[in-house]
Amino acid sequence: MADIKPKPRHPLAPAATALVLLALFALPQFVRNEYLLHLCIVSAIFVIIALGLNLIVGYVGQLSLAHAAFFALGAYVSALLFIKFKWSMWIGLPAAALITGIIAFALGWVILRVRGHRFVIITVAFAEIMKLVATNWIDVTRGFMGLPGLTIPALYIPGLGAIDLSSKERFYYVALTAAILTFWLCAKLVGSSIGRAFVLVRENEVLAESLGISAFRYCMIAFVAGAAMAGAAGSLYGHYVGFVSPDLFNFSYVTIMLIMVILGGKGTLIGPVLGAVIFTFLPELLREASHYRMVLFAAILILATMFMPRGIIFPLVEHLAPLLPRAWRKKP
Amino acid sequence: MSALLEVKNVSVRFGGLMALKDIGLAVCAGEVLSVIGPNGAGKTTLFNVITGRVRPTTGEVLFRDRPIHLAPAFRIAQMGVVRTFQKTEVFGVLPLMEGVLAGALARGDTDPEARAREALETVGLAAKMHLRADQLSYGDQRLLEIAQALAANPTVLLLDEPASGMNHQESAQIVRLIGELRTRGFAIVLVEHNMHVVMSISDRVIVLNYGEKIAEGAPETVRADRNVIEAYLGVQPPDASSTTISGGADAVA
Repeated sequence: MADIKPKPRHPLAPAATALVLLALFALPQFVRNEYLLHLCIVSAIFVIIALGLNLIVGYVGQLSLAHAAFFALGAYVSALLFIKFKWSMWIGLPAAALITGIIAFALGWVILRVRGHRFVIITVAFAEIMKLVATNWIDVTRGFMGLPGLTIPALYIPGLGAIDLSSKERFYYVALTAAILTFWLCAKLVGSSIGRAFVLVRENEVLAESLGISAFRYCMIAFVAGAAMAGAAGSLYGHYVGFVSPDLFNFSYVTIMLIMVILGGKGTLIGPVLGAVIFTFLPELLREASHYRMVLFAAILILATMFMPRGIIFPLVEHLAPLLPRAWRKKP
Repeated sequence: MSALLEVKNVSVRFGGLMALKDIGLAVCAGEVLSVIGPNGAGKTTLFNVITGRVRPTTGEVLFRDRPIHLAPAFRIAQMGVVRTFQKTEVFGVLPLMEGVLAGALARGDTDPEARAREALETVGLAAKMHLRADQLSYGDQRLLEIAQALAANPTVLLLDEPASGMNHQESAQIVRLIGELRTRGFAIVLVEHNMHVVMSISDRVIVLNYGEKIAEGAPETVRADRNVIEAYLGVQPPDASSTTISGGADAVA
């Protein structure tokens, strides 16, 4: 693919980015509640997952239900490397991303040749097979007993020595940095000629192919990159909670991931980030409603789907835009 | 002049249906070859075979003397054999420029934006480049399809009914455009029902009926061919010398 000039940035973008980053890094100074910090960490991990899934669902338009399996696979890879070889998360995390990416490549080689319901069904089958392996390969995975005892490693900085990251406040910075890095990678990818090809394949695959764009190639790039991000998030999650079990493969995880991407605003960069944060906090905020919590959550999902079919990001921007000076107004 | 694109003894079978039977054709640079025939004659299937969307059951397709019939569709387009579609295919919600960039990006053009702009100028849509494709009129969408194909820097251009559904004025614009593309040296294969367009622009015409080639030659020869008239009118003409396939959009099968 040829290189293209990047699209001009919004004039407000640098200032807004700086402001948001400042607020995110200052957050632990204002949020002293450990539970809220925990939710912030989980949000950051789900941001990574949602951004990865968004590449597959939002940018190349393939409905993959294997994403929770990639997330769990990353968690298992990192946990096994830690338990069997004493490799810390700093090695486990890139290894999890790499191995998950390789497995996604092998899977994609087979399933990206089919489309529609066949693709969806095979991704479900893959997730179920992975869950069966995690459950029944007891010698390695300990089955339902899971893999406990994972720890958060210290960070060695020359001159400063070892920095303990095991507190929630410090791990928040690890998760936040990983989320920001993932966002930056996704922004670079979708802003490049590869990202343009993603959108062209999503919008009209037959036409894109007839003009020389390989749908298989670009679906593969999105599938592998998205899976690697889920694998990295799995590693972070495993070391953060200290325990990995086959429950991570549950279908409910992929459901919430899809809700984050689709109701956040698939095919945009900000949408899945908002979706990840909102749909991590929302079920927790609804705990006040006790037994009616999930009923309320379901009602909110139904209403959001009915009234914001393109996701939260679009009506949000449309309502915020009139507040900005005319020159700064731009749709996402 | 040696042919850029050659179809040799191509047959395509879909289960019990023989869609193409032993078809051969060749087209050179700067030539317009039209493929006509009643609905279901196999014209679009022929395009699908040439562009890698359908594998021939037997036979081969050569581009610059190299076989391409087993290559994937995107690779054939990258080589320089690019098509448009019978049913309009555009990138609906994207701005024109984004969609036209597709071909230029795929070919690894050094300045894809310039190539895309030039393609839009060629078809007369440069002023509308910031509109979305689905905001264009039907006629403009057909022109956009040609711009998309041109941006892919083709050598052989396959146009599938570019004048379908167009009025006389728009058809005349298509004829002028195809004429201009011929002078630029493109090899053009045209599938078209509008006989006025076919007869006024083609160097040679091939006629298909039920997947078989029933005639080939200069437009004047083909329009008076007894088999062709029979295929189009469904009856044997009493006197072939006085009956021809007439020009005009109403002369469709």
